[in-house]
Formats: sequence, structure tokens, C-alpha cells
Amino acid sequence: MATAQDVKPVAQVRTSGEMGSHQWGLFGLPAAILLLLVVAYPIVRTVALSFSDMGLSNEFQMEWTGLGNFRRLFSDSRFASGLKATTVFTITSVTLEFVIGLGLALAASEFVRGRGLIRSIFLAPWTLPTAIIAVLWSWIFNDQYGIVNGLLQKAHLLESPIAWLGTPGTAMGVLVLADVWKTTPFVFVVLLAGLQSVPQDLYEAIEMDGGGMWPKFRYVTLPFLLPFLFIALIFRLIQAFAVFDLVYVMTGGGPGGATETVSVYSYRTYMRYLDIGYGSAQVVAMILILCIVAIAMYQLLVKRHERTF
Amino acid sequence: MEPDGTGVWRDLVAKFNSSHPGAPVRLIEGPTATDTREDMYSTAFLARGSSYDIVYCDGIWIAKFAAAGWLADLTARLREDDRRDILPVELQAGEYEGKLYRMPAFTDAGVLYYRTDLVKEPPETFEELTRIARASQTGERWGYLWQGQQYEGLVTVFLEVLWGFGGDWIDSSSRKVLLDSREAVEAVTWLKGTIGTISPPAVTTYTEEATRNNFQNGRAVFLRNWPYVWTLINRRGGEMAANIGVAPPVHAEGEWSTSTLGGWGFAISRFSRDPDRAWQFVEFVTRPQQLREVQQRQGRIPSRRSMIPGRFLPILESARMRPAIPEYAQASDILQRWLSAALTGRVTAEEAVKGATRETWQLLKT
Repeated sequence: MATAQDVKPVAQVRTSGEMGSHQWGLFGLPAAILLLLVVAYPIVRTVALSFSDMGLSNEFQMEWTGLGNFRRLFSDSRFASGLKATTVFTITSVTLEFVIGLGLALAASEFVRGRGLIRSIFLAPWTLPTAIIAVLWSWIFNDQYGIVNGLLQKAHLLESPIAWLGTPGTAMGVLVLADVWKTTPFVFVVLLAGLQSVPQDLYEAIEMDGGGMWPKFRYVTLPFLLPFLFIALIFRLIQAFAVFDLVYVMTGGGPGGATETVSVYSYRTYMRYLDIGYGSAQVVAMILILCIVAIAMYQLLVKRHERTF
Repeated sequence: MEPDGTGVWRDLVAKFNSSHPGAPVRLIEGPTATDTREDMYSTAFLARGSSYDIVYCDGIWIAKFAAAGWLADLTARLREDDRRDILPVELQAGEYEGKLYRMPAFTDAGVLYYRTDLVKEPPETFEELTRIARASQTGERWGYLWQGQQYEGLVTVFLEVLWGFGGDWIDSSSRKVLLDSREAVEAVTWLKGTIGTISPPAVTTYTEEATRNNFQNGRAVFLRNWPYVWTLINRRGGEMAANIGVAPPVHAEGEWSTSTLGGWGFAISRFSRDPDRAWQFVEFVTRPQQLREVQQRQGRIPSRRSMIPGRFLPILESARMRPAIPEYAQASDILQRWLSAALTGRVTAEEAVKGATRETWQLLKT
């Protein structure tokens, strides 16, 4: 279990890692080969496929089509609605996760004893496989046998059961809820680590200057927390934007395609419609969007504040 | 294979391995959801792997798998007496461009279950069904249950209604989209009209088992489902079993009743290293003796005419298969999305028919 003391050595590893370039070459070789095989090859191949036609219609021959697939993306209403659903899902779930996660982390950092226990308990949902969580939540919100409808009816708040996963708005709400439940702990743990890296004497300095809660947060906590916020945000944005298992298991993208995310659509295009070129183009488009978002986040959060502080 | 809940497949494989010396056949159980199993096979085929020599195959996969060149041609292997015994529509469902790729094993078709204690004569038309359902439903009991979730089951339900109104979806041979019609709008409108009146609002989230459970617990007058429900209800016996009747799907005045054909059979992978041994197993497992064992333990109905229970035979013989086009999965998804959008009130029936037609036409024009 990591504790406050464990966090600091991370910085030391980074400094001791600066060795001569010839050493890097030698020690880095196995890693480089591994990376090339498992990361570079699939990416290059996917990009190549996205510029070609390959699939059921042409007996899986790779035929160069230039920007054909990307042109098709622009006129594909299903892709547009997938992008919309993905964006709604990402923004709502990540926002909630950060609000709740930061709140929990601030509260937990006040505890000196029992922090390890709190962390372990909160982390439990994060350790479960998403597909299992998806099944769990779809039972909780099942209209006939689900506990939510049962409780609401017992409390006379509901007359007849609600088909939570059967209407677009509530289905998206349940998906967001399940995601928040599962991944808030991740945000919480990362931010808690960030809070623990703040040197306590800085707070004392502010106290001596007569500063209260807000100056402490604004001028001490936040600057130290920013790199952690950035890391957690990038992780969460990428994961939320690429959400697949939760949606696939809970709603299958329904009702009426209202919760079909880009990942689910590209999986179907590639694996079920066997339209491999077009499916790859969807994935490449998604990667591009994520890159833009990540760079924008970096500029906004890290670069700008590096100047301010 | 499907998950082997009853253990019958395990027993049959063991029986084959002990009576037919040679490379042993191994049973691999897949997930319950059939489209996930379809993807499981696709993954193996895309890698040109021989992980599966034998494919337990839904009729709607045939065109795609065969067009992709993943299945072995079985035309010459089929015995003449089998050809005569097996339901013609099931054989047809295993064919692509004139060649047989799948040996039929079990057949399925949509049927209408009703409560004989509440309904004297089963309805024949949509109006009769609505009228009787309204008259017999109570606060605890809905009139009519069907499968309304956005999935393949919704397409099978919709096709029965569409065909019942005299409309059609796609013509497999000319690849023409026939959906844009008055009949299709009527069909969507009728299904939508049942929600909240004779069908529960949550019907748009139901799949087969949810509807069966409700019906079996006495919470509905009519149920649209497959023949397996009959076996399951009768196996439990009791009052419910004595009060269940089976009828063909309803239709519009002056039209015919048509069921959607479902059905499972065995195909052989083109990447199989030992297709002869694979065929040996397929032939063994589709003999009447083995099919009977599955019929008894699982409730499935064999596709051999000689083995089909009398009450289901006329319904099965008049059943229609879904379009045999390689792009079936995509065409079905388009239809499901628009239907689901119409049923949940996001678009009108006309918009759904127009939208689905437009997208399907775009899909098939190339």
C-alpha cells in the first residue's frame, strides 16, 4: 500500500534516470522492440486501413481509397449521433467524477489515521471488471425486478415501474451513474496522492500570513495538485471517450441508438459488418479527436498555470 | 456452441467420441447472446484460424459467412433422404447463391400463445387481438407481450406484423428495399399503439425471457414468443400448462399470417484441417436419435418434418426467412434503431419507415 512517504521517491527516480545516451540505447532496445510490436504496428496498420477499402464487399482485399472513408464519416448521421452520445457521456461522467473525487480526497486527506483503510474501501469498485459492473447496474435498474423501482414503489414515489434503460434520457443517466460509481475512486486516489505531496509547512506559512481556507487551497493545494489533476483528467477523458464495455453490456447502444458511442459503432462496423476500412477510419478519427482534446487540456491546465505560479 | 445449460451437448459429444474413433470433438461453449457468438466466430475467421471446425450457426449468419468465404460447401454431402425430410425453408435458410452451407438441426418460428381460460377463440386479426386483450386485461395482467428491446428479436416481431399487413422489407435476390410503404407505416403504428394500452410501457426493454417469465406468472393474456416456451411451461405442469393455447401470428383483414423463421444448424469452417471428421460429427448429431434427445431436454424443435409436433407444423411450414444478404447484420441494425426510436416516441412511424428505407437503400446500392 502506498503511503505519503512513498510518493516523493517518484521524483528521485526521474532524476537518477538521466544517464548517457549510449546506455539508453542498450537498455532501451528490448522495450523499444516490444513497443514497436504491440503499439506501433497496430497503429500504423489501423491508419493504413483507414485510407483503404477492405471488407466483405471486396473479399478482404486492401484497396487504397485515399480520403474516401473520411468523407463517408462526415455524411454518416450514425457516426454524428455516436459522437454526440460519447461527448455527453464523457463530459457528464468526468465532471461528476472530478467533483466527487476531489471532495472525497479533500475530506480523506484530513484523516491521518485510517487513510489506508479508507483508500482500500473506496477503491473496491475500481477493481471490479466493467462488464460485471454493467450487469450489476442493469439489474439494479431492471424495470421488473430492479431494486430501484422496488424501493421507489415501496416509498409510493412511483405508481408504475420506470423502464430506466428503455428511454434515451434515463438510459444515458444510468450509464453515467454506473461509470461515476466505478471510476470516481480512481480520481479520488490520484488526487489524494497529490494532496499528500503538499508540504505541510507551506500551509503553516499561509496561516502565519493570516490566510484562511481559500488562500490555502488556491495558492498551495491547487498548484501542487495540478499535475495530478492533469494526469487523472487525461486518463479519464481517454477512457470515457472510448467507453465500450459498459454501454455494450447495459444498453447495447439502445434505445433507438441513443446511447451508441463511437467505440460501439466502430466495433460493429469492423467486426459485425466486416467493413474493416471504414471501421478503422472511425477509430482513427476518434484518436485524432482525443489528441486534440489532450493537447488543449495540457495547454489550458499545465502550460497556463506554469506561467501563473 | 450455445451455453450447454442442460448438458445435452456434452453428452452427445461424449457419445460421438466413444462411438466414432478418431480425433476427438471438443465442445466449446460461447456466450448466451447470439450476436456475441457470431462475433466470436468472425474473430476466429478473420484471423483465418481453425479454432472452430464446426460452427453452430444461426440462419441469418449464413449469407455473411458464406460471402466472406469462411464456410465449406456442404451441397454434395447432404443425403437425399435428409433433403426430403428437412423443412424446405430451413434448407433454403442454409443456402447462399445456390450452395448449401449449413445442415439444419432445429427450427423456430414466432407463435402466439394465449390463455385458454380467458380467451375462447384465438384471434386471427390485429383488431381481434386488440379487442380480446383489452377485454381480458386487468390491473395485474396485461393484454399482449412481445419483444421490444432494440435487438434482433424486435426485427422478428416487426416482420410478422409487417408481413401480416401485406408489406415487405428487402428482396434478397434483387437486393431491393421494399420497406417504404403504407403497410410498413401501419405495422409500426400498430406496434406503437399496443404500448401502454395492451402492452406494458416497459415492453420496449423486453427480450424473450422477460416476456416468458411474465406470461408464465399469469401476468399476460397473449404472448408472442418461440416454441420453446411451450415445452418449458408444460414441463412445469400445473394449472398454467392446462390453460395455454398456441396460434399463428395475427394479420390484417384479407392478409395472411406469416411467422419469422429462426433456426439453428451446423456449418463447417473452410479453415478446418479435417473437414471429413467435422462432417462425420455434423451428420451424427443431426440424426433423429440425437435430435430427439436435444428436443426432450432443451425443448427445441428439430427441423425434420417427421419430428415436428402437429400443433407447430402448419406454423413452421408457412414461416418465412429473413433476407439472405451478406449485409444482414447492418440492415437489421438500421431497422432496429429506427423501430426502437419510433416505439420510444422519438420519431413518428412515417419518419422511421422513411429513415430506415433511406439508410438500407444506401447500404445495398453498392
